[in-house]
Amino acid sequence: MPASPHIKIRNVGKRYGGVVALTGVSLGIIAGEFHAIVGENGAGKSTLMKIIAGVISDYEGELRLRGEPARFTGTRDAEALGISIIHQELNLVEELSAAANIFLGREKRNAFGLLDDRAMQREAGKLFEQLECHISPAGPVRELRVGDQQLVEIAKALSLQSEILIMDEPTSALTETEVQRLFRVIERLKSSGVTILYISHKLDEVFRMSDRVTVLRDGQLVTTVNTSETSPRDVTHLMVGREIEEVDLGSERSPGDSVLAVENLSLPWAGHARKWRLQDINFQLRRGEVLGIAGLMGAGRTELLECLFGTSAEKPTGQIVLDGESVQFSHPADACRAGIALVTEDRKRLGLFAEMSVRENITLCTLDEVASIGLIGAGAERQSAAESVELLGVKTDGVDAPVMSLSGGNQQKCVIARWLRTQPKVLLLDDPTRGIDVGAKAEIYKVIDQLCRDGMGIIVTSSELPELITLCDRILVLCEGRQTGEFSREDFREQAIMEAATMRE
Amino acid sequence: MPLLNRETRPAGHFLRSFGNEIGLLVAVLVVIGITTYFSDSYRMKPSQNAKEILRQTALLGIFALGAGTVIISGGIDLSSGSVIAFSATICTSIILLLSPLVDNSPDTYDLSLWILLAAFAGTLLAAFLVGSFHAWLITSIGLPPFVATLASLVGLRSLARLLIEDVTRFVYDKQTGSSQIYIGDDFYHQLGSVWWIPVVTFLLLSFFLWLLLSKSVYGRHLYAMGGNEEAARLSGIRTERLKWMAYCIGSVTAAIAGILYSSEISMAEPANNGMGYELSAIAAAVVGGCGLSGGIGSIGGIMLGAVFLRVVIDAVAKIFKQKPDILEGLVVGGLVVLAVAFNELRGTGGLRKQFFPGALGILNVLILTVLAGAITAVTSTTDKLRNGIIAAVVTLLLLGAAAIRERINASRATIPR
Repeated sequence: MPASPHIKIRNVGKRYGGVVALTGVSLGIIAGEFHAIVGENGAGKSTLMKIIAGVISDYEGELRLRGEPARFTGTRDAEALGISIIHQELNLVEELSAAANIFLGREKRNAFGLLDDRAMQREAGKLFEQLECHISPAGPVRELRVGDQQLVEIAKALSLQSEILIMDEPTSALTETEVQRLFRVIERLKSSGVTILYISHKLDEVFRMSDRVTVLRDGQLVTTVNTSETSPRDVTHLMVGREIEEVDLGSERSPGDSVLAVENLSLPWAGHARKWRLQDINFQLRRGEVLGIAGLMGAGRTELLECLFGTSAEKPTGQIVLDGESVQFSHPADACRAGIALVTEDRKRLGLFAEMSVRENITLCTLDEVASIGLIGAGAERQSAAESVELLGVKTDGVDAPVMSLSGGNQQKCVIARWLRTQPKVLLLDDPTRGIDVGAKAEIYKVIDQLCRDGMGIIVTSSELPELITLCDRILVLCEGRQTGEFSREDFREQAIMEAATMRE
Repeated sequence: MPLLNRETRPAGHFLRSFGNEIGLLVAVLVVIGITTYFSDSYRMKPSQNAKEILRQTALLGIFALGAGTVIISGGIDLSSGSVIAFSATICTSIILLLSPLVDNSPDTYDLSLWILLAAFAGTLLAAFLVGSFHAWLITSIGLPPFVATLASLVGLRSLARLLIEDVTRFVYDKQTGSSQIYIGDDFYHQLGSVWWIPVVTFLLLSFFLWLLLSKSVYGRHLYAMGGNEEAARLSGIRTERLKWMAYCIGSVTAAIAGILYSSEISMAEPANNGMGYELSAIAAAVVGGCGLSGGIGSIGGIMLGAVFLRVVIDAVAKIFKQKPDILEGLVVGGLVVLAVAFNELRGTGGLRKQFFPGALGILNVLILTVLAGAITAVTSTTDKLRNGIIAAVVTLLLLGAAAIRERINASRATIPR
């Protein structure tokens, strides 16, 4: 029965308290198609997918699978009927091995009914081979970088051999090469008849892979179209409901004097064959300049920023000179006072305070400014938070709204706002737009550009090279902990930078 | 952007902030109302009962505040019961050592004020050292809070018992020491037994801690650390100092309670003082809305949690005419399970979830049946067997019906393959 809807949803809605996440969505998914779901942050994409995958069980409306009404009480029910999901946020047990995570809840057993680790690791190894990645199936997930962890999630979903595979931004932490590998796997799945539902912010991916596109906006379905009959420009327009101007960044910036210099910086790696996480890094950052750090996962981008911020696992050697003074930080508080700010890569785990409000998240680092004799002035604090919300255009239902009621992009703006309030000389941004949609991305780019023009020195890393090319004045390339290239704006060519990033001895 | 229902926002905001406190307040009033209806004692001697409940609440509340503060900071302090015994020992020992000698033996009647003040100061200092030791074990050595304070829970009581033997042997110059110290001073006795002194102490302490937790920079940092320790550290917060503060608040509040408890009975007896009180403190904090994962809770909530716990204990004792201390464990245990379950279910909107799934569900229908029967039987004064059986049968029918309904719904939810 080709072309008959495989999944049919009618009038589906979901609200969280007073917030409507999704309302009146009706949609049919055809068996074997690659169906992309796009929309801005908070448009309801993830909510819709979670309903289909059984993650959310209390919703309004009706879900039909192969013509039969279905109401899942959990992901197990959905998996039993051949639907599995790769979440945007990672859901792995960090202490367990990659193989154990993949087979969690479906462990293989030997003749004695005991765990058959060998078989599971063999299977996991095969899956990783399919994904063309080098992850040790027996090593604990905690030791993997975010990109590799995401690959483990993907392997887990593949191992279920579902008929319907939902992918919620699977590429948000992957490097370009890993994305290519993933797409080859998706092609294979598609040709074997698997239906794929794919959420992405990256329209080039959507247009390269999908058969049909569904656009959501503000919790409502805008349209579903055949991909061949539309263009990225039209889709963007439908997503935001307004024209977004092409961002022209970086022109006529005039960097000032040097604010940060790094000389012969090395970070030891005890008990590892490579011995160094970072080796002999040298660079300068000037006021009013955006310096990009490019590199694959594991190249040492995050580690470099951690060294500058004083939170690296071990003490780095070499010199860090801030404003003409040699510095060595032993605690983030020192770095903070000296004028360095770090917006971390993993927002949920290292950046946000989920129990707190927007206001509390924004003012946390600068409470002393709004306090007298140690007591916080409620009015002054509210004022500061409101100021930041206004400045960065955080979309929120007031400064007292819980921060978790915001979309990912707006949560990220709150974290950036927190650090901007400390008025840093140097701002370190570790993959600041990970998992953030087009509209919010453009806004964050503008913020970065404005800060740079105001004379701040900014270092930004990204897993998306085009992003660095848009944003930066200079790009430093790392490969396996060593500095393998430096490009200034006029020499930015994706090909050349990628070559530097994959340079091996 | 999410659509927002703006009209309900102010009320929603208020409920979100104070929903837990309001719920507890209502629950307290309901329990008092029910008890007044069933118990003669509440109607005949209202003020005497009120004073006693307030005094008991204050004594529990004082160290529950400390336990709650530690929980909010993301840790746990299991040592408060032993710190109470230890503090009582330290306090009475200092008094004994400083008391004037009459016929070669200390006279603890009619003590001068400076002796008491010195004893209190010494006790609080000792508690500060205990808290600092906890903080050091946790932040510098890297012990989990559970282990560090569990060691104190068993260790400090033992230490206090050894200490009191030596102190009494030394002071009375005898061959064998005593396991308790008696203080005859009337003023000392009044501190813990005149109802308003613990109550005022509790209120002052609550006000101070409310100021610290809800209004000060330290407090905000403490909540941040409890909610996400790593993010707090990366935000430049000195988490080790905050933990130091939190564990000291935990032990110092327990010491204040320890002084008051020993004053109430005019003596210290570390073998029995404050036995098991750490769990009552944690229970009050949890019933008051503190999340054991940290970062959630309020001073107001902890205060009401303590009130609720005491009111329920007293109500059960009055209605079933039992000794409060026998019932206490059952009430505390039951309330903690209910409070945490309630918070969990409310948070996840989980009232629709399956409560009795699979074999474990069936077994627990039976367990709850037996529990209901047994508790009813032991709390009944007459016809124990009959009442127990009735309660068991009613429970079995209700829960059994629920379990069956769940199974029917579950089979409807998924379609056959």
